[in-house]
Amino acid sequence: MKRLLFIVSILLFLSCTGEDTLAPVPHDNPEIALRIPDSFPPLNSFVDRNRPTKYGVELGEKLFHEKKFSGNNTISCASCHRQSNAFADNEVRAKGIYGRVGLRNTPPIQNMAFMKFYNWDGNILQLEKQPLVPIITHEEMNSSILEVIGKIKTEQEYLVLFRKAFGDEEITPDRIYRSLAQYQYTLISANSKYDKVKRKEGTAFSESEARGYRAFKAKCAGCHNTALFTDQSFRNVGFPANPSSEEAGRARVTGLREDLMRFRVPSLRNAEYTAPYGSFGQFPTLKAVLDYFDEGVVYADNLDPILKENGNRIPMSEQEKLDIIDFIRTLSDEAFVGR
Amino acid sequence: MKTRLIYFLPSIVSLILASCGKDNDPVANNITLHFNNTFKNTTIVLGGAASATATVNTSAKGQIHHFSELKYVISNIRLVKVEGGEIPYNINDLDKGATVVNQSKPQTLDYVLSNIPAGEYKQIKFGLGVRADLNTLDQVRFPIFYTEAGANDTKMMWEWGAGYRFTKIEGFYDVDHKQMSIHTGSTVVGTNGDPDSYTQGVDAYRDITLSFPSHAVVGKNSPRITINADFDKLLSGKSHTLSLKSGNDPNQHEDPNATYNDATPNTHTAVQMLRFVDNLGGNGSSDISGMFSVTDVEN
Repeated sequence: MKRLLFIVSILLFLSCTGEDTLAPVPHDNPEIALRIPDSFPPLNSFVDRNRPTKYGVELGEKLFHEKKFSGNNTISCASCHRQSNAFADNEVRAKGIYGRVGLRNTPPIQNMAFMKFYNWDGNILQLEKQPLVPIITHEEMNSSILEVIGKIKTEQEYLVLFRKAFGDEEITPDRIYRSLAQYQYTLISANSKYDKVKRKEGTAFSESEARGYRAFKAKCAGCHNTALFTDQSFRNVGFPANPSSEEAGRARVTGLREDLMRFRVPSLRNAEYTAPYGSFGQFPTLKAVLDYFDEGVVYADNLDPILKENGNRIPMSEQEKLDIIDFIRTLSDEAFVGR
Repeated sequence: MKTRLIYFLPSIVSLILASCGKDNDPVANNITLHFNNTFKNTTIVLGGAASATATVNTSAKGQIHHFSELKYVISNIRLVKVEGGEIPYNINDLDKGATVVNQSKPQTLDYVLSNIPAGEYKQIKFGLGVRADLNTLDQVRFPIFYTEAGANDTKMMWEWGAGYRFTKIEGFYDVDHKQMSIHTGSTVVGTNGDPDSYTQGVDAYRDITLSFPSHAVVGKNSPRITINADFDKLLSGKSHTLSLKSGNDPNQHEDPNATYNDATPNTHTAVQMLRFVDNLGGNGSSDISGMFSVTDVEN
């Protein structure tokens, strides 16, 4: 009898330890404080519903670089959103799986936590809703979320990270979207020369940068304003239009005629690293953009009033253009792009 | 003993009859929805640009056109009883209650609603497209519909809109067979399909109500209901009388001299889309049938 009791208790003990190894580890996953730069606009309200956490961000970063997101394991988010290009790239239009060319120029990923709209047409308002689109799009990753989950769930490293980030090893679409967004919320760029000058950290603009800043404030800051250097409005500035029937600018989403070929004013932070420019890469250089504005844009009924009132152009002298480009280069954040 | 049996005989017979009656009148049966896609009264035959067999239609504005591809999504099906009251058919489950009608796949033209409670029905309601609250490409919740809509020969996903395409029409117009391509789908952003929460975009879902010419009687019978979708209405609808006119100005994708009734023949965005949506699915207020009608109920 005693012996039996002994065996039973051993068995109980074994089963307990067995369970212990399966039980979730204590959920210790602290929230990361977002360092919000001075004078930045308020956070997108969705950030509060998905605050970055230590392991959520770690998982998100790994997923961001995961090529298994694409049907043939060749394309990750980072394939088009490269850190050295401020998480954009240098392609005219985005290039995805099998070299397929997308509709538009890859937008940079920076200061996303402060943006109200995502993408050129603002079709996405909540960053967690974005990842599904490239995953399923024929020209991007050409896969599905269950295909992605099927591939990554066999990797021990992911199981560990999902457990650390969310308390158990279950891999769900929602957890993937949330961790990717958490990582992107941490991609804040506010350490450029411009920022250091503004913060009076012992740096000053050069003469041409200072002249450029004055010209910029007079000629560009009507749209490229706030600390993000975009007012986050949608405008038709008369750039040569993408001839694809898939393109209508903001009107693609709203269906409104007045939104035809209006695009989200892009941030100019790190613009030096994100050539070419325009919704489908119409301009190879910043100089080409400024030349175009100076020479005159394509007229449209809904052309931005600022341009209409100035004869459909933004007149600039050659010196002003060079100065403005020098100023825009002060928005380059070398630490952010890892250079 | 004999007399006692005689006393009981009527009740035994009635019991047997009653049980027979029960066997003959099931509590539920199927309804088959048969979709007949037409130009006016002629069932559509699809065909390529130079097809000699494709059904050619002439719009109210005199424009000839024919289709090479014709698909649309039906969901949110409800049956209305003669005495009132709606029987919803898996309205929150796209796997069990939604289908892609595809003119090139005959098997998709008959959609069987199973286990419909016995009774007499006078109306059907359904959606052209997918309700906003379900239109999220949720592969985990609805893997069957997701796969059906996303198949390479179906392509009913509006990838950038993160939702389904509701209609997809490819074809040719005018004597020189210029290409026409009209896709519809929702771009609306909001929560749980609550219109008050919509912050941007358009809702291309349309709720349809159709009355039956005679009652559908479910019980012993499994009725077959023929729903006519008259694609003549695409250009010549109750809401809009349209001409397809290609834009000359690539910067506007529209002819600068276009009148209100000129529609772009290649509609792949929310621009101009709602005019086609209203013609096909009604405007949701004064027109709740669009191109649809029930032409036959076979009990």
